[in-house]
Amino acid sequence: MVGVAVMLAAPAFAAPDPARIEAGRYQAILADCIGCHTAPGGKAFAGGVLLDTPFGKLATPNITPDKATGLGNWSAADFRAAVKTGMAPGGRRLYPAMPYPAYARISDADLNDLWAYLQSLAPVRNPVNVNQLAFPFNIRGLMAGWNWLYFKTAAIQPQPGKSAAFSRGEYLVNGPGHCGACHTPKNLFGADTAAALTGSALQGWFAPDITAAPRRGIGGWHVSEVVTYLKTGHNSHAMATGPMAEVIENSTALMRDADLAAIATYLTALPGDGAAPAPLSAGDARMKEGALVYDSNCRGCHNSGGGGQSLIFPPLAANPVVQQQSADSLIRVVLAGTQSAQTARAPTAAAMPSFAWRLNDVEVAAVLTYIRNAWGNAAAPVSPDAVTKTRRSMPRH
Amino acid sequence: MTQSGDGGADKSEGLKLCRRRFLASVAVLAIPGAPALARSYSGIKPPFFPFGADPPRPINPAGWYFLKPNEVAMVEAIVDRFIPADHLSPGGKDAGCAVFIDRQLAGSYGASSRLYMKGPFMPGLATQGYQGELTPAGRYRLGLARLSDYIRAHYAGKEFAALSHAQQDDVLAGLESGKIELKLVPGFSARAFFELMLQNTMEGFFADPLYGGNRGMVAWKMIGFPGARYDYRDYVEKHNQPYPHGPVSIYGEHG
Repeated sequence: MVGVAVMLAAPAFAAPDPARIEAGRYQAILADCIGCHTAPGGKAFAGGVLLDTPFGKLATPNITPDKATGLGNWSAADFRAAVKTGMAPGGRRLYPAMPYPAYARISDADLNDLWAYLQSLAPVRNPVNVNQLAFPFNIRGLMAGWNWLYFKTAAIQPQPGKSAAFSRGEYLVNGPGHCGACHTPKNLFGADTAAALTGSALQGWFAPDITAAPRRGIGGWHVSEVVTYLKTGHNSHAMATGPMAEVIENSTALMRDADLAAIATYLTALPGDGAAPAPLSAGDARMKEGALVYDSNCRGCHNSGGGGQSLIFPPLAANPVVQQQSADSLIRVVLAGTQSAQTARAPTAAAMPSFAWRLNDVEVAAVLTYIRNAWGNAAAPVSPDAVTKTRRSMPRH
Repeated sequence: MTQSGDGGADKSEGLKLCRRRFLASVAVLAIPGAPALARSYSGIKPPFFPFGADPPRPINPAGWYFLKPNEVAMVEAIVDRFIPADHLSPGGKDAGCAVFIDRQLAGSYGASSRLYMKGPFMPGLATQGYQGELTPAGRYRLGLARLSDYIRAHYAGKEFAALSHAQQDDVLAGLESGKIELKLVPGFSARAFFELMLQNTMEGFFADPLYGGNRGMVAWKMIGFPGARYDYRDYVEKHNQPYPHGPVSIYGEHG
C-alpha cells in the first residue's frame, strides 16, 4: 500500500527535465521577467521593485517558489492563468503593469517551461506589499472592467507573404518582449493606443519611437545595426541608457542572434510617421544661445557637427532619440547624467556627467533646442519651464 | 644605533624607528600592489550616480570675510592703481580683485594651512621668499596697518583712499623701490608687502570668476584667453587665425 502511494506520488515529485528548465530560462530572458521582478541589489525574481505608474505605486511580487511570500503554492495552471489572463488564484486580478495582454500570446508549452524554470529556483522569503495604489485604483476588481474594455487577445496569425523572421519578430516584440509596454503610447486608462511602438513617456523617461519612421524611428538603421544595438547596447547611431539599458542587460543581450535578427526584421519593416517639423532657423535666439552652450559644454565629446565618437560618445546628428516629440529623456540626461548599458560585447558602460550644477534651466532648454534642430535634426523646441519641472521632480541621491 | 641618554638622541632614535617601520610597511604594500596594476574589471559596472558631481564652490559675492572696513577701502584703492580702468578693461576694484584677496585671506591661503608653520623660523635665502611665522592674513593685517600709519603721518592724517591718484602712485612706487620703509617684521619688508599685494591682485584679475575676481571674465576677454575649454581640434590647424569664441568659466558662463 505504501509502495503504491509512493509510486502514485512519484511523478509529482520527479525532478523536472533539465532541458525544460533551460528552455524556461530562455523564456524568462525573452520576457525580461528579471527586469521587473528583481530589486536593485536584491535576490533574483524575489520582487520588490517599485513601479511608478500614472495611477500610483505598485511593487512587483516575489515569483520565487517560496510558499509564504512567493508562488510556492501555485500550480502550473495557476501560473498560466495569471500570466495570460491577469487572474491570480482566488480570483485576485493582476494590474496590467504585469503585461498579461502581451504575455497572452505566449504558448502554453513555453509557459510550462518558464514555470519549470521558476520552480527550479531557490525559494526566497521576501514579503512584498504589492498594491500601494490610492483609492479607487487599489480596488483590483476594477480591472475586470479594464479587461472588458482593453484586453483583446488575438493569437498571432502569421501575416501572409511575410518571412518566418518577420513573423517570429512580430511574436517576440508584441508577445514575450512586451516592447509596447514602454514604447506604445497609452490612453487615459493606461491601455495601448493604436499608434503601436511610436514612443511613450514612462517614469520620467521617453521611450522612443521604434517603428521605421525615418527621423524619429529607426528607419535609417540597417537590420544588422538594430541587432548590434540590442546585443551590445550600442551601435553607430545610438547608445542605450536609462530603462532600455536595463532591458538590454537583462534581456536582449542574452537573446539568441536569430531572435534578435527576427526582432530587427520586424521593427525595421514597421511603417512609421515620416512627417517632420521644419527645423528652427539658425538665427533663432534659442539656437544661438544653444550653440554657445553646446560649444562650451558638449562639443568636447559629442564633437562639432554632433558626430560623436563611435561607441564612446553617441552622435547627436540624425540620432532618433534626440528628435522624439518629447524631450523628457534629454532633459533628464543633461541634468543628472547617465550611463550606457554594459554588455559582454561592450563592457565599458560609458557615462555622461551631470550638468545640473553648471547649466541653468534656460541654458539646458537652449542647448536641447539646438541639438534637436542642428545638423539636419528637426524637433519641437524645449521650454525652460519643462526643464524646471524635471529638475524639481528628480530626486537627488 | 646605540641608545643615548640625552633627549635629543631619543628623538632621533624615534625618527629612525619610524623610518624603518615606514620602509618595511611600504615593502609589504608593494608586493600585493604589483599585480593590482594588471587587475581586470570586466563584469563590474563602473559606478555611476545621478547628479554625481563635485563642483568647486563659488565664493559668496556679498560682504567681507577678512578685511575690516578701513582695510577694504585701502585694498580697493590699491588694486585700482595696480590695474587702472582704461579702454582695455575695468579697474581692479570693479573686476573684483579686492573680493578675491579678501576670500583668499579668509581661506586656507590666508591661514597658510598647507604649509608647515611651526618653528624654528630661520632666515631664508632671497629665493625662498618669506620664511617667518606670519601667515598671508597676518602680513596683510600688519602691512595695511603700518601703511595706514605711514600715510597718515606723511599726508596730513589722510587715508590712502583719500589721496590723489598721483599721490597713491607715489606711495606704491616708494614701497616698490624701497624708498618707503614700514615698521614690519624681519624678513617682511615694505617691498615684500608691495609684491605680495601685486601678486594677489594679478591672481584675482586672471583667476576663474568663481574665486571672486575676473568678474564677467573681463581679464580673459582682454587678452583673448578662451577660458575653461578643452577641445580645440577644429582650430588646431588654423594657423595665424584668431580663435572665434569668447571665454568660458568653470561654471559655464560664456562671453
